[in-house]
Amino acid sequence: MKVYLNLFKLKFMNQLQYRMAAIAGISTQFFFGIVYIMVYLAFYTSNGDTSLPMKWNELICYLWLMQSLFALVNPWVKDNELLSMIKDGNIAYELCRPINFYKKWYATMYGNRLAATLLRFLPIIIIAVILPEPYKLLPPNSITSFILFLISLTISSLLITAISMLYHSITMFTLDEKGIMSLLMVFIEIFSGGVIPLVFFPNFLKIIAYILPFRYIIDLPFRVYSGNIPISTAIPNIGISIIWLIIIIFIGYKLSIRACNKAIVQGG
Amino acid sequence: MTIYIESMKMYLKSLLEYKKSFIMSFISQFFVFFTYYFMIIALFDKFDNIKGYTKYEVLLCFSIIQFGYSLIEIFGRGIDQFDKLIIRGEFDRLLLRPKNILLQVLCTDFDLIKIPRILQSIIILIISLVKLQTNLDIYKITTLVLMLLSSAILFLSIFILMASYCFITVQGLEVRNLFTDGGKHMAQYPISIFNKTFIFIFTFIIPYAFVNYYPLLYIIGKTTNKLYIISPLITFLYLIPALLSFKWGIKKYTSVGS
Repeated sequence: MKVYLNLFKLKFMNQLQYRMAAIAGISTQFFFGIVYIMVYLAFYTSNGDTSLPMKWNELICYLWLMQSLFALVNPWVKDNELLSMIKDGNIAYELCRPINFYKKWYATMYGNRLAATLLRFLPIIIIAVILPEPYKLLPPNSITSFILFLISLTISSLLITAISMLYHSITMFTLDEKGIMSLLMVFIEIFSGGVIPLVFFPNFLKIIAYILPFRYIIDLPFRVYSGNIPISTAIPNIGISIIWLIIIIFIGYKLSIRACNKAIVQGG
Repeated sequence: MTIYIESMKMYLKSLLEYKKSFIMSFISQFFVFFTYYFMIIALFDKFDNIKGYTKYEVLLCFSIIQFGYSLIEIFGRGIDQFDKLIIRGEFDRLLLRPKNILLQVLCTDFDLIKIPRILQSIIILIISLVKLQTNLDIYKITTLVLMLLSSAILFLSIFILMASYCFITVQGLEVRNLFTDGGKHMAQYPISIFNKTFIFIFTFIIPYAFVNYYPLLYIIGKTTNKLYIISPLITFLYLIPALLSFKWGIKKYTSVGS
């Protein structure tokens, strides 16, 4: 366990070196946040408030949390180090090491993700809080919903890392991370609520989205924060997300073992 | 021009070496880009207008910006990746050849994988025009062609400006995403839905408004002023400072050595 913790720390420190990239990331996220908010605001002000699935104060929280924590929940994160290893055959060294392949890379990716987030989220949150009224990020609905938000966000980050691992394990079979794999990423992005909140989906898509595990990545934590999902529904949902987390880690783990056994070393 | 076509042929040949991967990426590109349209289509399921613009008017706006951006992403990839030429010191080689330098830069890379995006934008464009029941007379067709052209020209200018910036420093280049991706993201909507400051920046500093707002008003019949037809031409002027700054950059250029 200690090895993995150290790996996690190492990657974490490593990420903290890329400050320039973080600043650029922050400004881009902030800009995108503002543009999204203005688009939604235009929608909200030009239509009567009839039967909207989200109140404005709930939506604004969702949008700002999405932008500030983007690095934590982004499904598109790829580990280029691992991918290039798979492609050029250096993966052979990985398999020689006396540590578990899955655990090692899980710790690495989680470290990267967490560090990237810690570098970025605070400035965006601070600016978002001091903005004037319609653009302003509001405090959480209640202390309980904030605690539940933190719990579900933790599970969400573990879940998306597990999905990432699954994706990289599949790449060990297909050797191509673009083609069909980007299709999968788009699918996850849409059904996690990354494009628009799931409540805005047409009904039949909403039913599908609620069955799939991806909604626990973005939809659940960000809506729990603002109270759009009440506490009584949030708790059982967090339970389900833990079950999904275990299932996906299990599948990824098994798949990585198979991939390692069957690995074809590219190049000499 | 012949060199450009030759380079493209070479690129295509190298791409076709990996046929299966090529076809897969081709198909997936089509769906990956669908997310952009998905947002607007899904939102219009709940709302019926955005500041008086209907679904297909916004989609028309979307498709024009996507068309220009994809076109430049495909054929202008060389200029988009210009920082790499500078960092690797490969730019020196181009300087030695007796051909136009910008053209050579454009020849260094292509990105034909993104062709599905263009097809997609054209499909959306046609669907929107049909659904809006625009009767396309000669004026409206001219407007449309000018819009598509100016969209491409504007993105090309921005890419060239960003490349000129590489002559000074290659640090903090990520910021260019703000101008290209961010600007594109904004310009997809009729610009009047935004805040006044934003409208000002994207009319006078980066003239996105002339690509898809003023001419759009004419196409959807919100105005009959004929001046709006030629308003996209203003973006063509934007190419001048872009080219000048690139020329200036070449003069100032000192190699990274090696």
